[in-house]
Amino acid sequence: MNLSPAEKERYARQLGAGVLSEEGQLNLRRSTALVTRVGGMGGPAALMLTMAGVGRVIIAHGGDLISPDLNRQVLGSEAVIGQPRAPHFADYLRSMNRFVEVDYVDHEPSDSEALELVRKSNIVLSCPPTFAERLRLNRAATEAGIPLIDAAQWGMTGTMMVVRAGLTACLQCVYPQPPPFEEFFPVVGAISSAIGSLAALEAIKILSGTGHPLFGKMLTYDGFQGRATTMELTRAVDCPCCGNL
Amino acid sequence: MKIRVVTMGRHYHETEDLPEFLELQEQASLDQAIERLRQLLPPGVDFPGSCLIALSGKHVGSIDSHSAVPLSDGDELMLLAPVAGG
Repeated sequence: MNLSPAEKERYARQLGAGVLSEEGQLNLRRSTALVTRVGGMGGPAALMLTMAGVGRVIIAHGGDLISPDLNRQVLGSEAVIGQPRAPHFADYLRSMNRFVEVDYVDHEPSDSEALELVRKSNIVLSCPPTFAERLRLNRAATEAGIPLIDAAQWGMTGTMMVVRAGLTACLQCVYPQPPPFEEFFPVVGAISSAIGSLAALEAIKILSGTGHPLFGKMLTYDGFQGRATTMELTRAVDCPCCGNL
Repeated sequence: MKIRVVTMGRHYHETEDLPEFLELQEQASLDQAIERLRQLLPPGVDFPGSCLIALSGKHVGSIDSHSAVPLSDGDELMLLAPVAGG
């Protein structure tokens, strides 16, 4: 089915040479993206995927919005403080694009829930605060055989890696043991949005079949020093997650 | 030989005073370079075991577990303390 005139109008600025073909835009429309969580990085990522026209966006995030979230969680607002994040964030996303279906999960998915959600999706954007949850999503994406983009941040720095399990290093190849969790990590919202948006861009490229995704690489941006680097990642042959692929 | 040093990630401010370039004897190993850097860190500060190591753009493991890759003049040694954050 072709793009409708209303869709062509909506996506006019991203259709054409150097951006998306009409087929690429249709590929986006046919796709489902899972974004968990949708705070500092996942929020902007989910917003960009919704605005770009990914057909279905599933977000997962538990808890209520608190005031300190609003230095970076762009899907929130003053009016939502003290209320559950997920339904409000989903409403905001829906308000941004009538052509996109938005679903939400209002808690951190368990192992089985993560796998179930991932199996409904074509790509996973992993943006949680803990490595335990990141590694869970990595295992689910590996088992389901779909790409995963892991976005992370601290202070004024961020990293993003793009995984195609079996072909590239997976998250567990890089982090065999979960690094320590720091609950009250410092972060400036501008780096969250930057890394989240870059994660969305990679997802858009992969889903639409456009450009050259950063498979097997980790992009790092050190905003404190003002430098960006790319690291070529190495698969671990004995990785318990993807070593048998 | 001389290598460039880049540190980033979690607690990046604690390594801010490390030199950008490190002079090492010819055929120095990666472990020797890391040990030299450790000696230059402020008291009480260390690289975490999970800290990723990349040599001239290629990931070679972590502080706890890495390949014994040879260093060459002009290499860039990047140490990245893992970040998560949501």
